[in-house]
Amino acid sequence: MSPKLITAAAVLASFAATALALETATDEAKVEFFEKKVRPILVDHCYHCHSADTKPAGGLRVDDRNGLLIGGDAGAAIVAGDPDKSLLIERVLHENPKRKMPKEGELLTEAEVDVLKQWIRDGLAWPRERIPAYIGKKRPDFEKLKAEHWAWQPLQNPKPPEVADAKWARDDVDRFIRATLEAKGLKPVADADAATLVRRVKFDLTGLPPTPEEIEAFKNDRSPDAFSKLVDRLLASPQFGERWGRHWLDVARYGESTGPSRNIPYPHAWKYRDYVIDAVNRDVPFDRFLREQIAGDLLPAANDAERNRQLTATGFLALGVKDVNQRFKTRFLMDNVDEQIDTVSRSVLALTVSCARCHDHKFDPIPVTDYYALAGIFSSTENAAGVRNKMGGGGLDYYDPAALVRLAGDTAAASPQQLAKLKADLAVAKKAWDEIRGTPEGLKLAPDGKPTQRPFRLKYETLQTELNSFTDPAERGLAVHGVREGKTIGDTEVRIRGEAERIGPTVPRGYLTTFAVPEAQPVDPQHSGRLELARWLTSPRNPLTARVAVNRVWQNLFGTGLVSTVDNFGVKGDVPSHPELLDFLAQRFIREGWSVKKLVRELTLTHAYQLGTDAPAKLHDIDPENRLVWRHSPRRLSAEELRDAILVTAGRLDTKPAGPSPVKELKMIEMRDNGPEARKVVEAADNAVARSVYLPLLRGVTPKALEAFDPVCQTLVSGRRESTTVPTQALYFLNSTFVRQQALALAERLLGSEAKSNSERIEAAYSLVLGRQPTSAELDRTARFLDDYAASFEVGETALQQIASAQAASGESAGASAATAPPGQAVNPDDVERTPELAKEAPVKPKDTASVAWMSFVQALYASAEFRFVP
Amino acid sequence: MQNPISRRSLLKSASGGFGYLALAGLLGQHAPAAIAQHPLLPKAPHFPPRAKRIIFVFMEGAMSGVDTFDYKAELQKNGGKGGPGGGTLTASKFAFKQYGQTGSWFSELLPNIAQHADKLCWLRGLHTDTPAHPQAVVQLHTGSANAALTRPSMGAWLLYGLGTDNQDLPGYVTINPSPNFGGAVNYGSAFLPSHFQGTRITDAGFLPNIKAASTTALQRKQIDLIQAMNRDFAATPGAPDPVEGIIESYETGFRMQGKVPELLDISKEPQDVREAYGIKDGPGGSFARQCLMARRLSEAGVRFVEITQGGWDHHNNLHKGLIDRTGSVDQPTAALLADLEQRGLLEDTLVLFGSEFGRQPTAQGPDGRDHNITGYSMFLAGAGVKKGFTYGGTDEFGIKAVEGRMHTNDLHATLLALLGLNHEQLTYRYAGRDFRLTDVAGEVVKDIIA
Repeated sequence: MSPKLITAAAVLASFAATALALETATDEAKVEFFEKKVRPILVDHCYHCHSADTKPAGGLRVDDRNGLLIGGDAGAAIVAGDPDKSLLIERVLHENPKRKMPKEGELLTEAEVDVLKQWIRDGLAWPRERIPAYIGKKRPDFEKLKAEHWAWQPLQNPKPPEVADAKWARDDVDRFIRATLEAKGLKPVADADAATLVRRVKFDLTGLPPTPEEIEAFKNDRSPDAFSKLVDRLLASPQFGERWGRHWLDVARYGESTGPSRNIPYPHAWKYRDYVIDAVNRDVPFDRFLREQIAGDLLPAANDAERNRQLTATGFLALGVKDVNQRFKTRFLMDNVDEQIDTVSRSVLALTVSCARCHDHKFDPIPVTDYYALAGIFSSTENAAGVRNKMGGGGLDYYDPAALVRLAGDTAAASPQQLAKLKADLAVAKKAWDEIRGTPEGLKLAPDGKPTQRPFRLKYETLQTELNSFTDPAERGLAVHGVREGKTIGDTEVRIRGEAERIGPTVPRGYLTTFAVPEAQPVDPQHSGRLELARWLTSPRNPLTARVAVNRVWQNLFGTGLVSTVDNFGVKGDVPSHPELLDFLAQRFIREGWSVKKLVRELTLTHAYQLGTDAPAKLHDIDPENRLVWRHSPRRLSAEELRDAILVTAGRLDTKPAGPSPVKELKMIEMRDNGPEARKVVEAADNAVARSVYLPLLRGVTPKALEAFDPVCQTLVSGRRESTTVPTQALYFLNSTFVRQQALALAERLLGSEAKSNSERIEAAYSLVLGRQPTSAELDRTARFLDDYAASFEVGETALQQIASAQAASGESAGASAATAPPGQAVNPDDVERTPELAKEAPVKPKDTASVAWMSFVQALYASAEFRFVP
Repeated sequence: MQNPISRRSLLKSASGGFGYLALAGLLGQHAPAAIAQHPLLPKAPHFPPRAKRIIFVFMEGAMSGVDTFDYKAELQKNGGKGGPGGGTLTASKFAFKQYGQTGSWFSELLPNIAQHADKLCWLRGLHTDTPAHPQAVVQLHTGSANAALTRPSMGAWLLYGLGTDNQDLPGYVTINPSPNFGGAVNYGSAFLPSHFQGTRITDAGFLPNIKAASTTALQRKQIDLIQAMNRDFAATPGAPDPVEGIIESYETGFRMQGKVPELLDISKEPQDVREAYGIKDGPGGSFARQCLMARRLSEAGVRFVEITQGGWDHHNNLHKGLIDRTGSVDQPTAALLADLEQRGLLEDTLVLFGSEFGRQPTAQGPDGRDHNITGYSMFLAGAGVKKGFTYGGTDEFGIKAVEGRMHTNDLHATLLALLGLNHEQLTYRYAGRDFRLTDVAGEVVKDIIA
């Protein structure tokens, strides 16, 4: 254990002392010497290029002690105590004519150099951070909240209450629901009919509508266990994992690129997606599912396949938003740690621990020291997402193949001779590029109007790419974005106001003090502590994890969680509508082995789940949000369900797992959201007929077929989707190529079917799309529509011409102007093409007037409000 | 209201022609549920607004101030000497002249914008946090340089706070935005509901799904069928509340199809107007087309319009590069200001012009300038701001803001104030805390308000 560590027991008492005990020798005279003599030299000669206010040239900062010690691209700038080994002194002495500092302006005088040497010799005195007084102080208000707030009290074992209408209850869950209703003098509405029920449960469990055959079969099955047989069949179908895996991917803020501000693809992210779907389908116990994602690399594995699976699971911690353009390594690291703390704490605990990064949590009893106790665990973990931070830069600059997690498997590569030659060529090219890069000569414009240095960069990058193709396991599909134990393991310091450079007292690695988890193992000092954290989180005695998990499942079946703020159980979150039921479910969930499938089964078999949707004014007025579950609230389908339902009813859905994402083909090179890479991915998404969960999800490039219906925000943990109603949704149904293509496909299916009459065709369409038979009024209306529609284009232009000309005018293929750099202007990697590369869309071509009319009708069914809701 | 009419019965009685504005007038601020259903309806500001809408003219990449509109006499005298913070001072190669009664200085690169000297309100003490384009662009648009925690863009905040006047148009339009540097984040809604996000269109006026897929007559027949089905569905017991919103959305969408393409079609503008803006085809004319579209959108009631000219990142080729870029920006920007004024739109429209940060007065390489986040300028013009006014300033060389310092958060606080919103009250609860455009900072600069 390093000497600067302090024991957990002493942590609170010894903060003041440890602050002084930081390695920095900070006696007053030395600090004064620094302020009076040293800092002015740094300000005058160095700050211009090497400070927080500038792009730190060469990655070096001189306005931060750690910045000097860590150094820039050329390594540590200062070795404390040893001026002769300090690069800073070498550069200002101009010992190397090519590497002298300052580059511009006056040289340092001899006296100034002596001052710097003296300061280095004396140990690099730096003014000490003023540690805010509250850090490490016990807070009575927090103690009170810890004792009082419901969410972190131990799980209770509530007894299911007695209810007056005992026959109504099919399960203990029903007794809790019914008792609460009875207490308010309310009675639930009548049950849903069979057609409603099969539609509801099929969408809820698989994200797909029932087929007409499924509806008929269920209606005709008079056996008492008809519904449970249906539920069991759906739970066993691979589509269950595709729907419920997507729920978890929302929570896991899954995305296939780093997002802002330089968007670098994560080409292997889809393996994590497939891991999630597979784990849900295999009903991996939820506690184990969490442990695999947080510490899969640290769990024992019986064989390579299991190890690879567990390594892939750690993508959960790696696939977050990252600012690769961050100038300062320490900020990059701490920002990524923060992203992980936020993701883990909100997804598993529904607590906003990240709020305690800069100060004690404003509402919940989470002191800043708790945050840094967790931060130590993640800063001792390598975020192996395959990217590094870099200021500026292009091409493969942000890609670090070594920073990916290698999967077990074969890596047969090029011959050693081939490799040796490539490496030698690369070394030469790199040297040439390094020498000319950024020099006046390199920036001079060549006759082609581009900087002279450009071909040097291209040559270097081409060779690097070629070498990667042989040596990079990622190129061979044997890598994932994940995490592993860090190269240095240790506790970390509180950062004053959350600023990465402002070091406060060190906090031992550990867990939240907000609540106690009896018998939790402390962090093993030799390891990061992730495995212990994963166990602490999934302990049956952790009061939050099971509550949060069952609440998410409840929301996904009943529309609203028992706690409506599914991602926040803190003081500012909602309180449970049925606190005892929540604990009852959590306890049963743990008892039954954290099985999500069992939980889903039990909940769908309740009477409460099978209620009708009727909303009598009396009940509606008392509880408009239906928090008491007196009916089943209809639910707007998600963007994925809408697309899948359109495709499957049109007969075009490919229900097989899609395999790799199109993002797999992208290099880890900055991507423009209007560039050729994005266009290819958009086109792949447009043409895909696999289920929506398999669509590529680059951050900032949402597939068009999902965009209009509140797709998940991929930035942060999102346990709940929005459900808005806006005109762009109407325009999507009326005009989008996707909807019209599918409408035409179904129209042609109907016309080509063996149906004997238009009535039968209309009935088939209703039954496929809406899951019910049309009324006779609807039959008449549709028949009139078809006649009228057909008749109106027999006057004048034909329908086909009309449709064709409307498409030609729609501008979907109209290339906008290209904005190329004017002649003579250097091409700056940041000065990019602004005109989007529009994805090409196949025109929708109905073959005759009948297809047009039927297509228009089918489209209207898709566009109807009824189609958008599951009852 | 004495006899509150139920929203449902109101909508049912108004079958067919739903008037959003009439509805808004009837419901006013009294029906939060209705507001939740129609989030883009105009909402009352916190206090009387000085401006109703914004046009943000974004010069992405950081336009050099000391070569265009930040005249520094000392810099011009001391070219070639060492700068106070290091580096070599480099005088501008462009000739400066004073314009208007205010005697504002402009270089020869901006002769047309210079004609508006007396109506501009300069913010000359701006500073921001990060000298890297991606973070600075994102911060200018969302208030936060912490790209790992995406925040809503300022246009999204405005829609959230104020709604928009014209329900037949998107309330927030961005034309040719940066495809990188945050990309969609810069006009996104982040954790605000997605209907508040900006609508991206190209400088050719392309917007997805806006053109009817069939003729108006045929489509009307189809919509009539959809609406008949929707009304039946709305009448079933226990029908979901949003069904009425869906019915309206089809009528609005149908109207948008007619109006939006027409609005974005600048070919019908009179010849003299097109000439004033310098409209031409091809990439060189992109910015002029954006300016004219911006005027048309603002005139039609769009709350926030952003137009973008990139390519100002002159680490090298400063001289020719500036001639080229100002050549595409000067005339259209001046024409936009003149056009807005002539139509009376400057009375309630606020124009914001500028970059994510500035450039150094010192040299970088033979013909370039590096980024400067410690002091730079933007200008405002139009509704609510003083005319011919300068707030703040940098030191004698233009390195650092020394007076009237304004951080990006202060700029946002001030813009919101001009639109009638208190930046501390415009909050949205997410992930357990109340978020603001201005995070935990921001002060309204009252001095610039007319």
